[in-house]
Amino acid sequence: MIPFGHREFQLPLLALLVALLAAAGAVYYSDMLLREGLRQLRFEEAQSREARVRLQKSGDEKDMIVRYLGSYQELQRLGFAGDEQRINWLDGLRLANERADLFGVDYQIGAQSQYPYAADLNPGDLALNHSVMTLRFRLLHEEDLLRFFDLLRDARAGIFSLDECAVKRMATAGTIRYQPNLAAECKLSWITARPRRTEARP
Amino acid sequence: MADKILVSISAPQVTVAVSRRDRLQDCIPFQNNEAGLAAFDEFLAPHAGVPVYFMADVVEEDYRFETLPHAFGSDRSELVQRKLKQHYRNTAYVSAWLLGRDSGKRRDDRYLISALTNPNLVTPWLQAANTRGMPVAGVFLLPIVSAGLISALRIRATNLLLVSQQNGGLRLTFFRDGQFRLSRITRGDGAKVGGRARFIADEVSNTRVYLHALRAARLDEQLTLLLLDRDDTLIDATDAIARDNPSLECVRLGRRRLADGLKLAEPLLDLSADAVYLRLLALRAPESNLASTGVTAGFRRHQLRRVIYAAAGVIALAGGAWSGANLWQSFEAHAGKTETARQTALLREQYKEVTRQYPTAPASAQNLKRTVEIAQLVRASARTPETFMRVVGAALDSIPGIAISGLVWKHGAGDAEAVTAAQRTAAASPGAPASRRQSGIIEGEIKPFRGDYRAAVATIHAFAERLGRDSAVAEARVIKLPLNVDPALALAGNTLDSRDQAGAADFKVLVVLKSHP
Repeated sequence: MIPFGHREFQLPLLALLVALLAAAGAVYYSDMLLREGLRQLRFEEAQSREARVRLQKSGDEKDMIVRYLGSYQELQRLGFAGDEQRINWLDGLRLANERADLFGVDYQIGAQSQYPYAADLNPGDLALNHSVMTLRFRLLHEEDLLRFFDLLRDARAGIFSLDECAVKRMATAGTIRYQPNLAAECKLSWITARPRRTEARP
Repeated sequence: MADKILVSISAPQVTVAVSRRDRLQDCIPFQNNEAGLAAFDEFLAPHAGVPVYFMADVVEEDYRFETLPHAFGSDRSELVQRKLKQHYRNTAYVSAWLLGRDSGKRRDDRYLISALTNPNLVTPWLQAANTRGMPVAGVFLLPIVSAGLISALRIRATNLLLVSQQNGGLRLTFFRDGQFRLSRITRGDGAKVGGRARFIADEVSNTRVYLHALRAARLDEQLTLLLLDRDDTLIDATDAIARDNPSLECVRLGRRRLADGLKLAEPLLDLSADAVYLRLLALRAPESNLASTGVTAGFRRHQLRRVIYAAAGVIALAGGAWSGANLWQSFEAHAGKTETARQTALLREQYKEVTRQYPTAPASAQNLKRTVEIAQLVRASARTPETFMRVVGAALDSIPGIAISGLVWKHGAGDAEAVTAAQRTAAASPGAPASRRQSGIIEGEIKPFRGDYRAAVATIHAFAERLGRDSAVAEARVIKLPLNVDPALALAGNTLDSRDQAGAADFKVLVVLKSHP
């Protein structure tokens, strides 16, 4: 039996403990430094790769800018690229209402949120958002509904997607010629796209 | 600080050597009496904690070769202890050294049993060391220690007789195939050189006769005589012995050879005849240790302490090496990062230079392209109730007697039947199935209706069937009938109700359009 409890073992065991702690501490600290160093190196290498690829593809990039810049600027004017243009939407509504000879349109716009079908469109670095607009209006005939949305699209106030419409026949008592027969409630999404983060523009 | 204290005890003298860093530093003789013991005790004072090795060079020694049945563990030690007690009852300084297995059928274990038959020769000196708290490594017999000389000086001889003049007399030790067989010590050393030669030759002859008597070696066998001549005084004697004994191969180990071979300072050879053996003991302690485990307990603790210190050192070194390697790699990674960052900056600068020739754009090329493509996709996927209304109109033309009171159309995940808020939320959430489709609910009634539910239900089913036949329709089904005939529900009414005053026969039909008509 080894008498580890003997006094003469106190100092060696203490030395062993100190060596263990010191070695473990040194290894732990240096390992931490190494991991951090490697992490930074990997990050920097990824940045370098990205910069190299970007430089190599700079010719393609220029062609791409030339090809898509006009369309993009048009979408900016339309209010699809960039921030929401709610005033444009209201102007568009007013214009469509006038041209469709409707009896006025009640509108309600919800808060902007992430577009739920964005994943279908593979947006990549772009954030696709939408604001749901609820419209209530009265119609003489079902076809007025379709004509109204065609006119709204032609008003070029933005890009929207019609989500749902409910049309109810109204109880009509008299025989007035221009009396609304139908009440409609529709929901449409005004969609906008913008980069997720500030990007370095060429 | 000394590493080892080595003590050689002979009848007239005790020689103490100090070993430091694998070198014998000093050799101090003490008389083997009370005064010498007191001086020895004083000498030990500054060497507290240093292990002490004792070696006995005395006449009171005994050697036996024994064979014991082959055994392991506690059985073996019991057998050995029994044999030791059988031979030596009056001394604690005994040892059994396992030499190997017998060549016979039983393959018994062969032991060299050695003993110091007069413990009083060693005990006072050992107690002096114990009193000082010095760990005692063991007590060894000089002839056993001398076996180390053969390997240290790489001497090859089948039958070797080692002869050396010691403090207690002439020591003759016989080895066969490098293994100890027998040793004897005789008093006297001869007065003159010629006399010494004769004295040694006589003792060699006596020893050969003794070996023959013990059947350890035959008289006609070739014998190598190894003379330890630490002061180079036996040159002539060696020649004389060789001349007079042609059957002997005489080899003299002179002062220089001993000093070089054993890495021993020549002046130490002048100080004591024991210096050579003390050096051999310092080089390697034999396995045959006469000291009991009680005597060497302190040494074992000392060894264990050293092992712990060594382990601590190894751990510290390993930790240091590991940390050093980590730091080095970390430094390399940092240097690599700096270099990569420099290259990245250079590439970015080059890219910037290239992009100066680009047309000014509000977003990156990739985002320009993606934005335009997404806008095209959104436009292409946009739907209106037009198709739905056309399908309903065509069905109404075919099936008369139906009046539409309302339409619900939906373009999204799920169908128009999902009317509750919870269903809508679930359908519109980002994680919901993304495939969108058009669906609608037609709310209507049968006109005119005079209480003929059978005819009304048939008309509604015909209407739904007509809807389902349209090429743009994936599914059409009635979700509400004027009369609920579900057996799970209660149904009440009155057969006397006038047909003219019958209630409305309203219904609902769900229509799901194909994604790509």
